[in-house]
Amino acid sequence: MTAESPLMDHLIDRAVLSLRRINDKLAVVAGLALLLTAGYILADIILRRFDASFGGTDEISGYVMAGVTSWAMAYALTKLAHVRIDLVRVKLRPLGRALMDCLALWTLAATALYVAYQGWPVLARSIRLGSTANTPLETPLWIPQAIWWSGWAWFAFSASVLALALLWNTSRGRVKEAEAAGGVGAEL
Amino acid sequence: MIVYIALGLLGLLAASIPVGIVLFVLAFGIDAFFSPFPLMRGLGQVVWSSSNSATLIAIPFFVLLGEILVRSGVAERTYTALDRWVSWLPGGLIHANIGTATLFSATSGSSVATAATVATVAMPQAEALNYNPRLFSGAIAAGGTLGIMIPPSINLIVYGFLTESSIPQLFLAGLLPGLLLALMFMAITAILCIIKPSLGGPSRSSSWGERFAGLSDLLPILFLFGAIVGSIYTGWATPTEAAAIGVAIALLIAAVNKGLSVRMLVDSLRGAVRITAMIMLVVIGAYVLNFALSSAGLGRALQDLMANLGLTPLMTLFVIILMYIILGFFIETLSLMVATIPIIVPIVVGLGYDKIWFGILMIILVEMALITPPVGLNLFVVQGARRSGSFTDVMIGAIPYALVMLLMVGLLILFPQIALFLPSGL
Repeated sequence: MTAESPLMDHLIDRAVLSLRRINDKLAVVAGLALLLTAGYILADIILRRFDASFGGTDEISGYVMAGVTSWAMAYALTKLAHVRIDLVRVKLRPLGRALMDCLALWTLAATALYVAYQGWPVLARSIRLGSTANTPLETPLWIPQAIWWSGWAWFAFSASVLALALLWNTSRGRVKEAEAAGGVGAEL
Repeated sequence: MIVYIALGLLGLLAASIPVGIVLFVLAFGIDAFFSPFPLMRGLGQVVWSSSNSATLIAIPFFVLLGEILVRSGVAERTYTALDRWVSWLPGGLIHANIGTATLFSATSGSSVATAATVATVAMPQAEALNYNPRLFSGAIAAGGTLGIMIPPSINLIVYGFLTESSIPQLFLAGLLPGLLLALMFMAITAILCIIKPSLGGPSRSSSWGERFAGLSDLLPILFLFGAIVGSIYTGWATPTEAAAIGVAIALLIAAVNKGLSVRMLVDSLRGAVRITAMIMLVVIGAYVLNFALSSAGLGRALQDLMANLGLTPLMTLFVIILMYIILGFFIETLSLMVATIPIIVPIVVGLGYDKIWFGILMIILVEMALITPPVGLNLFVVQGARRSGSFTDVMIGAIPYALVMLLMVGLLILFPQIALFLPSGL
């Protein structure tokens, strides 16, 4: 290995750690968005008793769900929460396990990149045409779609960083760090 | 195409690629090999419309509700109160395990969370009172599975979303079979403990005064359940609105129990967001696969396959059930459901069976998957809460309950009304 490898190790560890910290914060933001939406729905239910309504709670909850889902993906990834069937994996030695982790994470990163790539035209079209939702609210669609798309882009970015970190750590034989970036977490 | 899907699914899953991603990859494969026109240009739109859903937001709400309750100390109180009501039965505290699991199922939509909660509360008691660890822990693992059957159930929301069936109807359909299963679990416990008294611990009786005093600890959770199911049944609220009401009541219960703090709230929010992402990656993947399969003409392929096999509807149903039992040894609940729904449900509906009824049948089968080794999440969870003893104990202890579930499958086939009676009034 070259002399700058320890520096590289350090940088990679820093990158993984920062990703983790940012996603921890993002998760709380997403959670608060859920809580606010629940409150909004509740207020609407109470208003309905008095024959009034904000209107459009369904539409807004849908947007929130899309946004929360896409932004939560990266958080679940750093928590190793995406379900994997590790029946074969646990039978292998550490090297085989690390290779399977690489395969899994690289496939995930590639898929996330592809979804973000194919998702862009959806947002771009809404911006270009100034599309609005076919509802009384007439929400300009680019707003929820921008939040949704950037979540997928962030997921793709996070996954790519982790995939690179995993490959680097595996090739350097840093088993513990590799497991932390791309192993199988305990479910729930 | 069906062979490609089946082999690809098993192969990629065995390669330990995340389940949701496997479903995406299979959809890409169908686009490349089986579709006469490119499908994946529509991928962005499909992903957007599958997650832009006011129905699905009920999932994070129900998860959040469960997280709040679990962290607020309600479980301990429920357990103590139920102990007073049911521990006179042969089998003693084991009935309290099942009862607490049933009540928690009725508020949290997840089986693993239910098992984990009950296990942490109950396990210290088993050691103190000298229960047979096998049956005791098996009952917790099995009782926990009810979480996905008794409404609200996250798995039923996902089933309803993917098969375009009514979620209120599914919720009502799950109610009777869920309660019946709980009663059957208690019956088998009592029978086993009468045959072999050493299995259970001391039966304890409490005075009626103690029982009614404990009732005040059961009321909040019964009220929460009543508010959720009642508001859906009367048509007063959609499942999503009922879930939002549930979150508010759970916060209230936590506040009354003095279990509410910023730390606890942040933990609950993070937990809910993590589990939501975990569920949604699989659901979006299934939605994309669904889209690819139907665009590439799965319907025709399935009709051809069924015509070639020449089985009667009942025989086909048995083959499907057998497949779920076998797959259930290795794959867990939601993954198992979501990965098979795009192919199995069209077959079953094509045979003339009811979609709602089959949803409930499928839930029992994936409940079994939770307690059948080598991969049974609830078994792991319960073992994790024990301080000593081998995993085999939990495994053996769960066997009687797995057999009861099989019996329930038979009952549902013979008497579909068990599931369909309540929703028919909706």
